[in-house]
Amino acid sequence: MQVIFIDDQGTQHFVNAEPGDNAMRCATDHLVSGIVGECGGAMACATCHGYVDEAWLDKLPQPSAQEREMLSGCIDMRPNSRLTCQIRLTESLDGLIIRVPDSQT
Amino acid sequence: MDAIAPMLPDVDFAYDEVPNLHELIEQLRVFGPVVPVKYLGAPVWAILDHKELNQAFNDLEHFDPGDGYKLISAPSMGLTIQTMSGQEHLNNRGAVSALFLPLKVRSYVEALIEPIAHELMDRIAGQREVEFVQGFSRPFPFTVITRLLGIPVADESMFLEWAVKLIDFPWDPEGALKAKAGFDSYMQAIIDSRRRQPTDDFVSRLISVELDGKKLEDEPILAFFRMLFPAGSDTTYKNAGSLFACVLSDPEIRVQAMRGDKERAAIATEGLRWQAPTAMLPRMATGDIKLGDAHIKKGDWVLFGITAANSDPKVFPNPRKFDPSRDNRELISFGRGVHFCLGMHLARRELETALKVVFERYPDIRLKPGSKVEFVGGVLRGPRELWVQPYGKA
Repeated sequence: MQVIFIDDQGTQHFVNAEPGDNAMRCATDHLVSGIVGECGGAMACATCHGYVDEAWLDKLPQPSAQEREMLSGCIDMRPNSRLTCQIRLTESLDGLIIRVPDSQT
Repeated sequence: MDAIAPMLPDVDFAYDEVPNLHELIEQLRVFGPVVPVKYLGAPVWAILDHKELNQAFNDLEHFDPGDGYKLISAPSMGLTIQTMSGQEHLNNRGAVSALFLPLKVRSYVEALIEPIAHELMDRIAGQREVEFVQGFSRPFPFTVITRLLGIPVADESMFLEWAVKLIDFPWDPEGALKAKAGFDSYMQAIIDSRRRQPTDDFVSRLISVELDGKKLEDEPILAFFRMLFPAGSDTTYKNAGSLFACVLSDPEIRVQAMRGDKERAAIATEGLRWQAPTAMLPRMATGDIKLGDAHIKKGDWVLFGITAANSDPKVFPNPRKFDPSRDNRELISFGRGVHFCLGMHLARRELETALKVVFERYPDIRLKPGSKVEFVGGVLRGPRELWVQPYGKA
């Protein structure tokens, strides 16, 4: 399966992934600019914020209360904002598009 | 772990200044990713390699930080998010985290961080030589916190004494508890006044926080304030000193630092890796585990070797080279996992702002020729002193 990241420079990254991977880790493993994930995926740093393409939103489970709390402190939060460390990839997300915000900070 | 003899038995990582820490780490690394060393006169484990340290930070079953912090910090600091575990920790951290997330911290830059940096730069105006640690890097993050807490300028020095003393409990319990009493009665008056008349400041916001439908009581608020100083001031000031020591000694990096925000962010990150302020973080093991070749037992003290992991050549090639263009995604200076440093964004904005304002105000600033910069400390680490000439040669 594949995830498409559009980074903070506008560059598209077609990243091969496996079901079960987390989207933040896919981005950092493939050097997608603008996704940091400094705490390693514990919802503790707010540096893996991304915008999920609208067409894919209803295929993802709703964010938890803790994730929503962290997102509300991110720069330029939108209705399709997610912490990418909380997106667990499944077959049905093959082709998922995530845009990286201009800045995490 | 009394039976295991420490490597480098002549070196005590708590008491000695270890200016050659990086060399010692490389000598130790030969023996494995986790080795016994001496700390406070007794053998403890030190985790040196990145993979094992990352594992330990994320393994709360065997390395829950709460138990260790309860012993060394709770008597004078109180129960804080550092001493809490599990759901209690998540709830309490969640209640205050908004004050430290990027959106809020961005607003502190213009309102607080930049003006304080300029104020401190004003104070060194006209001086040919300045000791930069006392003149800038130490008061800078400290003042950010005192202003966040609404402490008037006139009381800052008294407050600094208390704040410094609070963490001395392991070796000066009486002094630490006396400082706690002074600190508490002073801050209690500010809390009381904000309870009567809330403003939109940091203290008022913390007072308005609700946990399980109830407002925070005074003690958890005081405990949080006490923790801010060791967690947010001592660390950042050590690192700011190290950062400027590097930047001022390399003409090319100095040019980059004057270029723009992205460059400054990369330089600050490399500074955090190259000489992390928390070189070794003491933790107590909360379960038996084999890590590397070491059989760690519940109750053993373990030094989380942040500086060592940040210089692990398997992750950071040519690690002692200060290179802001390197891939720093595996930086481990702020820890990992649910206890990841809450103040990371604040610390980074402070360091970036320091670079911006210092060079704006003193574009010719340089290290005093002939003065030696020595980095010291096995736990908290930074330059002993940093003599600079703000106006360069003139």
